[in-house]
Amino acid sequence: MNAASSATTTRGTRTAARVAGAVKVYGAGDTAVRALDGIDVTFPAGRFTAIMGPSGSGKSTLMHCAAGLDTLTSGAAFIGDTELGTLDDRRLTLLRRDRVGFVFQVFNLVPTLTVAENITLPMDLAGRGRGRGRGGEGGSDGSSDPWIDALVDVVGLRDRLRHRPAELSGGQQQRVAVARAFAGRPDVVFADEPTGNLDSRSGEEVLNLLGRAVRQMDRTVVMVTHDPVAAAHADEVVFLADGRLVDHMESPTADRVLDRLKAFDNGSDARSDGRRDSRSAGGSDGRFGSGFGSEGVMP
Amino acid sequence: MNASVRISVSSLRAHKRRFAGTFLAVLLGVAFLAGTLVMGDTLRASFDTMFGDATSGTDAVVRSADTITTPGESQGVRAPVGAGLVAVVGKTPGVAAAAPDIQGAAQLVGADGEPIGGQGPPTLAGNWIDDPELNAYRLAEGRAPAKSGEVVVNRGAAEQGDLRIGDTTTLRTPDPVEVTIVGLATFGGEDGMAQVTFTGMTRPDAEKYLTAKPGEAASILVRAGPGIDQRELVDALTPVLPEGVEAITGQELAEENTEMISGQFLTLFTTFLLVFSGVALLVATFSIHNTFAIVVAQRTRENALLRALGASRRQVTASTLVEAGVVAVVASAAGLAAGIGIAAGLQALFPAIGFPFPEGDLVISALSMVLPLAVGVVVCLGSALLPAVRAGRTAPLAALRETSVDRSGASRARAVVGTGLAALAVAVTLTGVVSPSLWLAGGGAVLALAAFVVLGPVAATTAVRVLGAPLDRLRGVTGALAARNALRSPRRTAATASALMIGVAVVSLFTVFGASLKATMDQTVSRSFAGDVVVSTPSFGAGGSGLSPALAGAVADRPEVDTAVGLGRGVAEVDGSGRALTVTDPVGLERTFDLGDVRGSMRALGADGIAVTEQEADKQDLEVGDTTRLAFTDGTTETFTVRAVYGRSELAGEYVITREAWAPHRTQDSDTVVAVSFKDGVDASEGRAAVEKVARAYGNPEVQTRDEYARSSAGAIDMMLTLVYALLALAVLIALLGITNTLTLAVHERTRELGLLRAVGQTRSQVRAMVRWESVLVAAFGTVGGLALGGFLGWVLVKASDGASNSAFAFALPPAQLPVVAGVGLAAGLFAGLRPAGRAARLNVLKAIATE
Repeated sequence: MNAASSATTTRGTRTAARVAGAVKVYGAGDTAVRALDGIDVTFPAGRFTAIMGPSGSGKSTLMHCAAGLDTLTSGAAFIGDTELGTLDDRRLTLLRRDRVGFVFQVFNLVPTLTVAENITLPMDLAGRGRGRGRGGEGGSDGSSDPWIDALVDVVGLRDRLRHRPAELSGGQQQRVAVARAFAGRPDVVFADEPTGNLDSRSGEEVLNLLGRAVRQMDRTVVMVTHDPVAAAHADEVVFLADGRLVDHMESPTADRVLDRLKAFDNGSDARSDGRRDSRSAGGSDGRFGSGFGSEGVMP
Repeated sequence: MNASVRISVSSLRAHKRRFAGTFLAVLLGVAFLAGTLVMGDTLRASFDTMFGDATSGTDAVVRSADTITTPGESQGVRAPVGAGLVAVVGKTPGVAAAAPDIQGAAQLVGADGEPIGGQGPPTLAGNWIDDPELNAYRLAEGRAPAKSGEVVVNRGAAEQGDLRIGDTTTLRTPDPVEVTIVGLATFGGEDGMAQVTFTGMTRPDAEKYLTAKPGEAASILVRAGPGIDQRELVDALTPVLPEGVEAITGQELAEENTEMISGQFLTLFTTFLLVFSGVALLVATFSIHNTFAIVVAQRTRENALLRALGASRRQVTASTLVEAGVVAVVASAAGLAAGIGIAAGLQALFPAIGFPFPEGDLVISALSMVLPLAVGVVVCLGSALLPAVRAGRTAPLAALRETSVDRSGASRARAVVGTGLAALAVAVTLTGVVSPSLWLAGGGAVLALAAFVVLGPVAATTAVRVLGAPLDRLRGVTGALAARNALRSPRRTAATASALMIGVAVVSLFTVFGASLKATMDQTVSRSFAGDVVVSTPSFGAGGSGLSPALAGAVADRPEVDTAVGLGRGVAEVDGSGRALTVTDPVGLERTFDLGDVRGSMRALGADGIAVTEQEADKQDLEVGDTTRLAFTDGTTETFTVRAVYGRSELAGEYVITREAWAPHRTQDSDTVVAVSFKDGVDASEGRAAVEKVARAYGNPEVQTRDEYARSSAGAIDMMLTLVYALLALAVLIALLGITNTLTLAVHERTRELGLLRAVGQTRSQVRAMVRWESVLVAAFGTVGGLALGGFLGWVLVKASDGASNSAFAFALPPAQLPVVAGVGLAAGLFAGLRPAGRAARLNVLKAIATE
């Protein structure tokens, strides 16, 4: 857990989510694929963390397992202090509903519900928020909760509350998804390529929203992306390759991230990148453990 | 293999499950149809064989030539022949033996004191013919009756009544006769002629109890001498027979008997079943259409890609049709096999439940193979035609667009056409009710059905909103989602609901009509019957033997009783067509029944007077004092003077004749009912007890109050309704399959959305509830529509029947049954939703959100 705790230096000691010794194997026998090959990582509260890596590096799998959408083959995943492996499907669902927010790449919204209803969906599913007595169109103003009211203003969709998702642009839809993700004040919001389907301007808006949520509202965001520009919005970036955590970068910029990624493409290890902010979390594995010294490198 | 076919086959292979519902719907419909046809043919052939065997020894039959058949009756009444003719026939050259065949109605009482049979098939008695060749029954055990009081009964009847050789029981002829069973008989190798009971007595007994006058027989059975064929025998007999008496060959007799069962009973039976398989197939049409419509919609992109790559419209349409064709052929073939299996199963099952199904192989005619196959294929292809054409019209550009499954069904054109149809339907129906014409009313009913189907998608939006409103409130977002999902494609929701709607409509039509018939009977009895109790035998159809004509007199002798009048039944031809006569004491009749306005007097009909209802009098252009001629079965024609014209015919019948006038023409004497009114001041239960005491000596018929009488008259309706419900269960089942199928496809279509909902915290049970409620909503829509349509059609049928017949029909909505129908519809929806709901809940969240 050394590496994990070391990632929480900048702010407090609160941990929003973490995985320890995470191994995920798909298939069996000869066709078995180790999507996660022993990962320890901590996502500190109040931080915006990006997970990067080439296709097939396991970044989406890591997010799914950390968020309780998927289960680990071995190792443990925690949201706060709750170990996900101990939960049955129902309790896992309730945990996702109450303590985790999601923004997916596409298809984030239920087409039959209005914008307001989509935003309050997790709370409505819990029977909270608008309350059972006011389902349907009647409760779609979504303004009963000042937090949600504020969220609606932050994402700038006040005049769209009664619209259906089909009437919104892709960027607007993602903004609704962001509002939905934060609506229940979750411990952590997981975003899976949230800008993957957007043009750069809409993408920028969505990323700014995520950033503001973390910095101004003290929320926690974990984002999977392959876009260095997107990753640059994060407070820190962790790099995955072949199911292992290979690098870590604080206060990233698009250029630095891009360079780091190029290093993967060149087949060489991250060593060549002198500007890196590397505190490897792969300590449990000898191969990378020696590669990225376990003692901190200066920012 | 050309491209279209290859595409369809690979698509079928890939999506077998999608067509499971269609497959089952076609299979069930075809199986019902094939089963009905095969069973009908098999029964017919078996009866042929049975009658052939039973009468094989009879070469000719001598009997009266004429019959009188009253409307609504299958079998005419034939006058007896003189038994003296037996000697004449016996002496005719070529005749080896001749025996009189005396027949009448007589009901055996079983060991438990309850009468045997009587609920439909005839309960017969006759003389036991000693010549085994001429006797249709064979002695299986014991011996033939030798002295008065000894009888042989068919084995089926004996088993039913738990009677054994040596037992003594009562035979209602209708006068109760003490009989001892000395032998058991079989008919054509079976335990009986279907469910007909037969009691064979000595000839003197038969003459005494079954004929009006001794020396009469229903017919004379003749056996030919060696080397003489049936035709030659008849030719030899004809010259010696008096006028009005004919001879027919044994072959012809067997054919007549077979015709009586297969031509009337079996045809009715199969027609009835065919109607219901038609309903089932109609319902199936909707389910199948819906499946293909959804599949085509889901495949828009795929089809567009094919079009973009250069497939012609025709090729895309053809590939969908080929797919439908393959499903149709396979399902129809399976249905045919299942139908034959059902027929074979019933053949094995019938004897087990006491219905002697004549032995013999299953008869599978070319028609019963080809027709179900053809119907199955046509229904399936026909239902898939529109979706296939729509598939062909897919624009190549649709490949590039987001798939939009949702098509609005509530177009303005649809609303206009539907409203027009509905208006036309109401207009035609009302004209049919007013005019009155059953044909117009029926046409209007079909139009109404069409209007409902066309308007379905338009109504779906509003209906689901209204029906779903409480759901939204009670079930929160899960309920709201269910309602919105049901609203997504009004056309799809409507088509799914339409199938159930038709099923429910037919159920409620019959329920309403049945309730109305009961109300009518109730009203008739309470309006026309002015007495206190009624004595009758519980039976209907050709069963039972009625009441002893002496009963009315015996009851009347009781001090508690003011009037007891027996109503017998006779037939005569008036103006060339058969009419039922009510044989009774007109004075007593007037006192116990409300005859409405009476012109003339019922008191003085005498031996040459009749009374007629006003309606019949108008029809025949008769007035009090006019004369009319009645031709009786014995060949005589007499002139009667109309002495009274009365208003109400419901219980009294159309013609009333005195016993003395009827006596010369009578056959077996019996009353169908004895109406009793008590003296003033006699306590109802006291009076009833007195009547019951008398009745006990006359075979213990049932004594009922007015209400009980009305209710028991309605018993047959309940039995019929039960049968109808059982048959409609198949249609409802097919409708359910349709709902299940639509929902399964919808769940498949919404995989991503379900995944999203699960990811953001919808629990499995919430997913399940959401799908289930959607199913219930669709079912509720169909049920409500069906209740409305069925109720309306029931009303139309009642009103049209009211206008078209003499008796007044009352319209009644059954207060208990309709809510039950509604409940069953909703429960059905819940049930139909179980599987898709389970499937939706089992979806793997990750896979669902990863689905392309």
